[in-house]
Amino acid sequence: MKDIREDIAWAKINQDVLKSLENPRKLYWVILFVAIAMVGVAVGCEIYQYSTGMGVSNKNNSHVWGLYIATFIFWIGMSHSGTLLSAILHLMHADWRKPIYRFAEAMTTFSLMTAGLFVAVHLGRVWQIYYALPYPNERGLWPNFQSPLLWDAMAIFTYLSSSIVFLYVGMIPDLAICRDRMHEGWRKKLYTLLSLGWEGTDRQWRNFRVTYLTIACFLIPLAVSVHSIVASDFAMSQQPGWHITSFPPYFVAGALYSGCAAIITLFIILRYVFRFEEYMTMGILKKIVRLTFAISMVWTYLNAVEFASVWYSHDQASKDVLIQKAIGTYAPFWWGMMFCGSVVPLTLAFKRFQTNIPVLFAVSLLLNLGMWLERWMIVAPTFAHGIYPWAWDHDQWPSFVQWGMVFGSFGWFTLLFMVFCKVFPSVSMYEVKEMVYHRRQETKKLEATGKFATAGKGAH
Amino acid sequence: MSKRHLLALFSNFDAAEAVVKELRDVRINGFDADKDMIVKSPIEHPEVEEFLGYKPVHVQWFTLGGALMGGLLGFFLISGAQANFYAQIKGGKPIVPFPPNFVLTYEMFILGGVFISVLGFLICAGLPARRSPLYSTKVSEDQIGILVKSDENAANTLKAIFAKHNALEIQEEAGK
Amino acid sequence: MSVSNLLENWSQFRHYHPVDDKPHDPYKWAMSIDLDACVGCNACSVACYAENNLPVVGKEKYAHGMSMHWMRIEHYWDEDVGEEGGREFPDQGAQFLPMMCQQCEAAPCETVCPVGATNHTADGLNSQIYNRCVGSRYCEANCPYKVRYFNWYDYPTTDNVWPAEMTQQLNPDVTVRGKGVMEKCTFCVQRLSAAKVTAKSEGRIVHDGEVQTACQQVCPVGAISFGNLIDPQSRVHKQWRAQQVELDKDRQAKDEKEGGTNLRGYRILENMRPYPSVMYLERVRESAI
Repeated sequence: MKDIREDIAWAKINQDVLKSLENPRKLYWVILFVAIAMVGVAVGCEIYQYSTGMGVSNKNNSHVWGLYIATFIFWIGMSHSGTLLSAILHLMHADWRKPIYRFAEAMTTFSLMTAGLFVAVHLGRVWQIYYALPYPNERGLWPNFQSPLLWDAMAIFTYLSSSIVFLYVGMIPDLAICRDRMHEGWRKKLYTLLSLGWEGTDRQWRNFRVTYLTIACFLIPLAVSVHSIVASDFAMSQQPGWHITSFPPYFVAGALYSGCAAIITLFIILRYVFRFEEYMTMGILKKIVRLTFAISMVWTYLNAVEFASVWYSHDQASKDVLIQKAIGTYAPFWWGMMFCGSVVPLTLAFKRFQTNIPVLFAVSLLLNLGMWLERWMIVAPTFAHGIYPWAWDHDQWPSFVQWGMVFGSFGWFTLLFMVFCKVFPSVSMYEVKEMVYHRRQETKKLEATGKFATAGKGAH
Repeated sequence: MSKRHLLALFSNFDAAEAVVKELRDVRINGFDADKDMIVKSPIEHPEVEEFLGYKPVHVQWFTLGGALMGGLLGFFLISGAQANFYAQIKGGKPIVPFPPNFVLTYEMFILGGVFISVLGFLICAGLPARRSPLYSTKVSEDQIGILVKSDENAANTLKAIFAKHNALEIQEEAGK
Repeated sequence: MSVSNLLENWSQFRHYHPVDDKPHDPYKWAMSIDLDACVGCNACSVACYAENNLPVVGKEKYAHGMSMHWMRIEHYWDEDVGEEGGREFPDQGAQFLPMMCQQCEAAPCETVCPVGATNHTADGLNSQIYNRCVGSRYCEANCPYKVRYFNWYDYPTTDNVWPAEMTQQLNPDVTVRGKGVMEKCTFCVQRLSAAKVTAKSEGRIVHDGEVQTACQQVCPVGAISFGNLIDPQSRVHKQWRAQQVELDKDRQAKDEKEGGTNLRGYRILENMRPYPSVMYLERVRESAI
């Protein structure tokens, strides 16, 4: 199964991808409206919470964190998809990423935007969120740079702005194509403005290549550090179940896992909606599926490491938290997480399912459910059964306000993503052309040396 | 004599390469293959660099400078904020603690690196660019364009070279 | 934000950390609570409510765990007390434990507040600055004792918290907190400030017994002693010394001795190294006599 046909005409690539930017069908508007309605639910919940107080979220003293932090981390985790594809696979010269990294990079940007909202709704006094910014003031007060939550703020700002910049810079040649092909109107004006007069000259391409590579080299340590910092929210505290040194790599693995699963979901959707079968091929899907499986095994291993290190430690409080996770109030969710995160991906090991679209769609959604549960199961059990006996049995179930916000965040993400897909090309045209070109060169070489019979790169 | 632009479009890199080689060899008054010729392509093609000759790319100097500047700025901003007159002890830690400061310095290092790299890219690539006098949308689709600037009387020589290598289209700038 | 400030103040600031040669000067507020004397009457808790404008949240919210008692009495029962064939009276361990902010020298809450709303003062208190708090609740998440309380609702505007004339009872020296702010025991800092100002105007430091926290003041059995740990004449200093409990240790030397000791003084969760400023005197157990 090839990653892409070598004989696709470049003009056809342009044509196919630009077709996705045409005026949308009715179903698009329906789904967009539903997404907006979901956002409306979240906005309503936030207004209620803002005016009445955080208490409507059903949290209580000593169990002070809930779904907001968990979902925040979930969305940050999902954002690692784009970096994985754009940056890591780019450095590894895995060119099968080329047709799919654009929407993955967009997914990164929008996940981060969604995550940022959760930081805001989590605060008891959102209107003073600017206290966390380092700005000079007459009181001489600066934020507390020792706090992992503040590192979060700076890391996410860095990651979001770098992702937007990376997405944009990588899109410039494509925006030039859009500019060249579009009829007069707001779109043409937009693309003309955004493509900065790109004409594909040698000087532009040379600098482009080096810049892209350089930013990719920066984005990888950034992505790792961002999620390590988010993990530090827990690892830097002293609470049992949180104070674990393997948390940073564990979270990064979970993030890559989440991201890969989301890529599979969106891959299947975009492939079907825009009829991108030529570009988002089964060969590529298979590769992503296998990568997801590998990451799921890494995640499972790190989970096992966490359990083993707690079990063999002298820290009775941590051991108790672990036991509570398995048999306490939150046990069904914890076991659900283990099932979705470690058992469900085993289906991906079977060749039969690696290209079975309905199965993959369901599996990818379950994997992400597992990852969301994982984040919640890190937050809740430590509060329910911490170090201090007086604070035990502080079980707490989120109220409709929390659920409403989590629900709405998916609507917000969908909204952003859908708008993106209709305004910007969700497949990178110039990179697909490069991919086709290089595959064709290789096929020619193999033909010339008479080795074609043994199957070239990308064929299985 | 006034200079005029010619744009020739080719269907593959080999033809373009042959044309460039010939343009280098040919001796025409008022035409310098290095300065008056621009190759435009729909994809980046490192082989183009080979036949055009190596030209240094300076973006990475921007990266280095930007990253170092970002890191230093980050560290001193944060340490300065912590060491100000209203220094507040937190958790029995020193006034300017290095572990948390390192984390933020690292983030600012990356932020500086990325942003200044992009700035460097825009500067080195000359973006936003003024549009060329001659442009074909086919360049962004699947054809390679070679834009040359020469005196009027050299135009025919150049056109002949283009035609010899199967130029798909030759555009000429209208006379002034 | 100048280098000269940094250098000038550095040596002074460095001495604030308890493990240095000169921990605090001239005040380090500390407390010691005698659990053998404590009868669990809750007067200290009520006094704290009165002194610090604590909102009474009501039965429903209390059951949900949203209580605001800065000073709380924890009840611990031995397993077989009251059961069939078990003991009639508890024999081991504290029966009532008054717990409030331990004003840790190396407080885990201080490092994690993103906006710096909680810091350490020069006289050894953990300060909570309501104006600065944005309500991220990380401090409570990190507190080993869970002694911080968040304002889940806007209690000043909630019904039945301070109905009509009850607002006359509010202490004018203490802020009334709105929603979204974290609060905790402050060792009645308003009283401390007033006493320090009086003492300073007379050119001396605060004498022992001149200032009392509200809980100390109302305790009917005098279980709570509070004062300046540095002042060798203060009761709290003498108690800490007699019990051989040192502020800047995470394991006391007396606990290393063979066969233990008869000294009752201990600090809670000392091994987690927050260096709390509150010492508890263990309940005298029948089995130990």
